[in-house]
Amino acid sequence: MSINKQSEEYYRELSDSVVEMDEERTLTAANAALAAGVDPYNAIQQGLSHGMERAGQLFEEEEYFIPELLMCSDAMYAGLEVLKPHLKKNAVSSGTVVIGVIEGDTHDIGKNMVRIMFETGGFKVIDLGRDVAPQRFVDAARDSSADIIAMSTLMTTTMDGMGTVVKLLGEANLRSGVKVMVGGGPISPGFAKRIGADGYAVNAAEAVKLARKLVGTA
Amino acid sequence: MSQLSPKERLLNTLAKKRVDRPPVICTGGMMNSAIVDVMTKTGHTLPEAHFEAGRMADLAAGIHAETGFENIGIPFCMTVEAEVLGSDIDFGSLACEPKITREQFRSVKDVVYKNFATMLDSGRIREVAGAALQLSRRYPDQPVIGSLTGPVSTAASLVEPMQFLKELRKEREQTHRVLEYVSNFLIAFARTLIDSGATVICIGDPTATGEILGPRMFDEYAVTYLNKVIDGIHATGVPVLVHICGEMKSVKPSIPLLHSDAISTDAFVNLKLLKQEYPQLTTMGNLSTILLESGDPERVARRTEGLLLEGIDIISPACGLSTSTSLDAIRAMTGTVKCEM
Repeated sequence: MSINKQSEEYYRELSDSVVEMDEERTLTAANAALAAGVDPYNAIQQGLSHGMERAGQLFEEEEYFIPELLMCSDAMYAGLEVLKPHLKKNAVSSGTVVIGVIEGDTHDIGKNMVRIMFETGGFKVIDLGRDVAPQRFVDAARDSSADIIAMSTLMTTTMDGMGTVVKLLGEANLRSGVKVMVGGGPISPGFAKRIGADGYAVNAAEAVKLARKLVGTA
Repeated sequence: MSQLSPKERLLNTLAKKRVDRPPVICTGGMMNSAIVDVMTKTGHTLPEAHFEAGRMADLAAGIHAETGFENIGIPFCMTVEAEVLGSDIDFGSLACEPKITREQFRSVKDVVYKNFATMLDSGRIREVAGAALQLSRRYPDQPVIGSLTGPVSTAASLVEPMQFLKELRKEREQTHRVLEYVSNFLIAFARTLIDSGATVICIGDPTATGEILGPRMFDEYAVTYLNKVIDGIHATGVPVLVHICGEMKSVKPSIPLLHSDAISTDAFVNLKLLKQEYPQLTTMGNLSTILLESGDPERVARRTEGLLLEGIDIISPACGLSTSTSLDAIRAMTGTVKCEM
């Protein structure tokens, strides 16, 4: 059996174990892949990430819902823990994202889903958590030279804080270098446009596609 | 039939008796209308009114008088239950509602089961009940609606929500045990409010949506425990409203399984079609809160007319109102239903 064919089988097992929400099986598969000399970067991309993309697809098709997607991501992260220490230092990153729930809101299930899909998609993610003041988004974007700020809220009362972030970015002369994307229950593409954001995504899977488009790695 | 009091009109509607026109209500709790306009006008303000029966009653009375809603609704948050069960609450400000800052447990396996009698005497339970008592005496013709946070949301306010959602699959036995406990507590809380004069109970369960749980988990957990709470309240003879958040597509067939006396939905659910498909449902809703916040009374009135033409049984905002919603917009809604416009 050629080494390529062998690698393919490890990728498939990693991907399947993620889709099937089996954390133990993902751990075993990741360790087995390492022991067999499979390239860890490819094992992540074509194994774990591939599994998460399939899970994301099942989510869009309404086969999987939030509990299932969270279980898949637990399996994915477990595999990532094993493989990551073996990555070569200069592995390619899709870009840096600063993410958080805007000030006044603590609903972070949606934001966490988007974070998981970003990490799966090879983005470096700086998660500011929930109830985040507008200035903190701007400071974090500056300090990390972020490519993207991604914000969410579930409450109509807090939507305006998103516009404040766009304004503060402008005042800090950072607007041209940072793409802004927004999402959450009450947010619409029209609202995104009104506050001067670069885009709106309806769910976590869409968010990653949009991010890739915005930073030109699609 | 023109002599129907607002209380009779709502109770008759819920009992599927004929009424002169739909009631226009705003339940309190998740869907409260403690807007900044009312608070500045009446001087009864949040966060103070979250804590004390008299202030809570005064604000609820002020809302009723200013908005024209045909009910009184208390409390003004979704944190009364979580506070008593042990989580940390940030009580917010005039314009910002209270929220959970830290859930007490990391896993359903860690939940410590407390005594109901002690819980009913702690936190703000007695204050909400006291407000219900004052209001039911002051307004005998108005329905006093006591609002509860639903069992799934309350459980997800007690156990860290991301973990909780995973444990719906991974720790089913313990999750059922926690939901059983939370549901029994909610029934006890509802009965306390009913003993104090609440006419109707409304349950809002924003974590229990089809979008989050999917149909299988919605049936296994949301339908089971919503019905347990509803049945516990029905045993006292009091009707129950249930609000389902979000897009309902994936769980639509489960909606008629709920034992509630009316179903309230978010703005993007077509209530007219839902009613056509399930004629047995009493529908409630669903005026867009985004439209209400945009503040154009003309458009609010037109959309309200639309809901009336579609035969929606109870006219109500579709979700939690933004505190910056204008009184003019709300009055356009209530006035249109009452034919004052």
